[in-house]
Amino acid sequence: MFRHQFARTLWALLLALIAVVGLSSCRSAVDAQQGPVTGSGPVVRGGELRVGVLGDLSPAKFLQIGTGGLNGHIVANVYDTLITLDHASLTPRPSLATGWTLAPDGLSLALNLRRDVTFHDGREFTSSDVQQSLLAYLAGPWKPQFKRTAAAITRYDVTDPHRVVLSFAHPVGNIFDLLDSAPIIDAKTLDGLKAGRTFNGTGPFEFASWTPNARVTLVRNNNYWGGSPALDKVTFVEGNDPKSLYTRLRTGQLDVVDPIGLTSHDQKLATSRYGFRDIEFTGAESEVYVGVNVANSALADRRVRQAIAFAVDRERIMTDVYQGAGYPVNLPWPKTSPAYDASANHTFTRDVSKAKAILAGLPPVPPIDLDYSSQGGTSRIVAEIVQSNLKDVGITVDLVPNDPTVHSSKLIGGEFSGLWILEHAFAQFTPSTLAVSAYPFNAAKNASNFVDADYAAAADAAWKTADPSSPEAIAAYRRLDAVWLKELFLVEIGVVVQHATASPNVRDVGWDRRVQFHFAGTSLTNPDRRS
Amino acid sequence: MTGYLFRRIPTAVIVLFAASLLIFAVLRLIPGGPEAALAGSDATPEDLAAIRHDLGLDRGFFVQYAAWIGSVLTLDFGTSYQVGGSIGDLVSFGLTNTLVLTSAAAVFAVALGLALSLAATIRPSTWLNTLLTGVNAVAIALPTFVVGIVLIFLFGVRWRLLPAGGTPPNGLTDDLWITAQYLALPAFTLGLPAGAMLARFLTEALQSELTQPYAVTAIATGASRRDVVLKHALRNALPSTITAFGLIVGALLGGAVLVESIFGWPGLGLLTEEGISARDYPLVQVLVLLSVTVFVLIQLAADIVHAWLDPRIRLAGAA
Repeated sequence: MFRHQFARTLWALLLALIAVVGLSSCRSAVDAQQGPVTGSGPVVRGGELRVGVLGDLSPAKFLQIGTGGLNGHIVANVYDTLITLDHASLTPRPSLATGWTLAPDGLSLALNLRRDVTFHDGREFTSSDVQQSLLAYLAGPWKPQFKRTAAAITRYDVTDPHRVVLSFAHPVGNIFDLLDSAPIIDAKTLDGLKAGRTFNGTGPFEFASWTPNARVTLVRNNNYWGGSPALDKVTFVEGNDPKSLYTRLRTGQLDVVDPIGLTSHDQKLATSRYGFRDIEFTGAESEVYVGVNVANSALADRRVRQAIAFAVDRERIMTDVYQGAGYPVNLPWPKTSPAYDASANHTFTRDVSKAKAILAGLPPVPPIDLDYSSQGGTSRIVAEIVQSNLKDVGITVDLVPNDPTVHSSKLIGGEFSGLWILEHAFAQFTPSTLAVSAYPFNAAKNASNFVDADYAAAADAAWKTADPSSPEAIAAYRRLDAVWLKELFLVEIGVVVQHATASPNVRDVGWDRRVQFHFAGTSLTNPDRRS
Repeated sequence: MTGYLFRRIPTAVIVLFAASLLIFAVLRLIPGGPEAALAGSDATPEDLAAIRHDLGLDRGFFVQYAAWIGSVLTLDFGTSYQVGGSIGDLVSFGLTNTLVLTSAAAVFAVALGLALSLAATIRPSTWLNTLLTGVNAVAIALPTFVVGIVLIFLFGVRWRLLPAGGTPPNGLTDDLWITAQYLALPAFTLGLPAGAMLARFLTEALQSELTQPYAVTAIATGASRRDVVLKHALRNALPSTITAFGLIVGALLGGAVLVESIFGWPGLGLLTEEGISARDYPLVQVLVLLSVTVFVLIQLAADIVHAWLDPRIRLAGAA
């Protein structure tokens, strides 16, 4: 009996010893993923940058802006564009094009191209790649936002392999927005790109692998014309939920999370309490607004829309919901836009008595639907505040949650019955882009069912002015402003400045006006943190 | 038996056909279409029409159905609208991850169920039984998302002992110890209620066995309760518990959808969720049809086994 017990105890001790020795010699998944939480120093080459993003790669909408963060980050790091737009102004900066000349009549643009550029497969970049890329940009399957601009190019002169001349049907004020956005792709592997198999660009990183629903890995392009990047590789880790990305950032599983990957609250928490670095995208703003269907009989009277504009508490929304990451406006322009006019933004501030006075002279307003997207949660809070604001002035609003696809579908079809909450972009580009490329502002057909000959003429005049900062262009933007402030088919709430969050271990994260990361100049202060 | 098979198999085929038609139709009744998900909010109605045309969604319902079912019958599941890759590859990747997660959860559930049940049966002290019953009740009652979030907070964020979510960076097979650490929290979350339920089934079966004459006699003649339980009662209690375990495994596969979402584990659950939100018709059709097919095949196999065992079943209707 005693022998049995002794033998059993011996076995148990032996197993415990094996377990302890075994476990101590094994790698910890947590240790393998963690880096230092503080640190700075010189640029060190090497290492893997792990970037958290929401949603997977989607080749079918590869060249569309804002429809999936991962698409944009791959475009920005695997491909190059002809020019890049400066963050502080709309000045074009050289990229694959080293210089350019716009004809005095605005009907052609000659671009000189770099001679030392090769695609990742070793093929030389030439002017015909510019033509093929812009034609592929137009042809799809993707539906990119600058296609009206691309469609205005009537001829490509590519006789010189290092110079391309674009001819236009009319002066195109936002041509540099297109050249900043359309990546130079390899037409020979276009079918592979459409199928999500081949990503052959000229950019600082080469596409290495894609595990759907999990991760995309890029590796350094040692032959990059702009100099070999410091990072060995960049891994985009896909998350399906902002909370999950926040947790993984905090626990060291991620180094950076892109702006749509975290809520404003978590972003603020990470930077203010836990020492993470804030990356502010001033120059890549979006705008939150209340859309108005003017075909709804309750909203057809412009005075009702004015009462709504006076009722909305923009300050509260920007402070409480967006945690101060932005500022209230009446017009869509961010402060970085040449069309920004601070004085116009005082036209409508919350004034309950004024709104009530306007409504007092009108028939009672029946209950109105207010649609919002159920994704995330920010839209719901904004919708609830707007609902409360409108109740203060005597307008009853019924909230209608939609999943993102239904919300998009209603927007494009002009099927919101009354009001809706959404964010739009494109005011951060050349101002005329807003009226020709952003559907809510589209003069020909928009979600508000607002059609007006003056508005269409003002949008056209702005677009067809060759120099977007000329006095003629500024006058055209003022005409658009006047229509928006008078007609109020969109009631702007505020400009939202995007923020990304990074570990202190990460240095020099680049970005562009489409809220895409550029990692060509990024490095890690301690790249050997993991084996 | 052959006659029975001739009667039973066509029924299964008809069920699958009806299910495929239903799946195909129901997906198209969901508001919003794939064109809206693909085009984004800055598209125009013309863009939507162009995408519908490219995807073949402007053709008649039965033309679309015939094209889809024809390709499925040749095992060509088509291409995902959103991801663009082969649906066969996407599903096999997701299925592998889901099976790994549910297998780990099932192993944990069995270990937990056995441990709790044997502890409660071998040492039937009042306090231990009360404790185990309480633990059992809490484990079954706690929603999966609560357990998952608490575990992430404690083990991932507060103590930093285990990864807070995701999958091993170098794949599941690169380092099994790393994989085990990534699996620990989701498998525990998924397996906890299953283990508790299993413990209840097994405990009841063991208690029942201990009232049988052979067990009463053995204990009366001086055999230890532990020996009686481990050497005799357990063996007799297992068959009914295994039947219950089969049902629990089915529930594990269903529960994996939520756990995958909480822990960012890229299995079939996440794939289905993303497919539905993007209105990725071909992907969701294949995923739902796959689950219906598995269910129908299991039913068919069970019926055939029953018929083989029981002549009354296989001969019924043959006359």
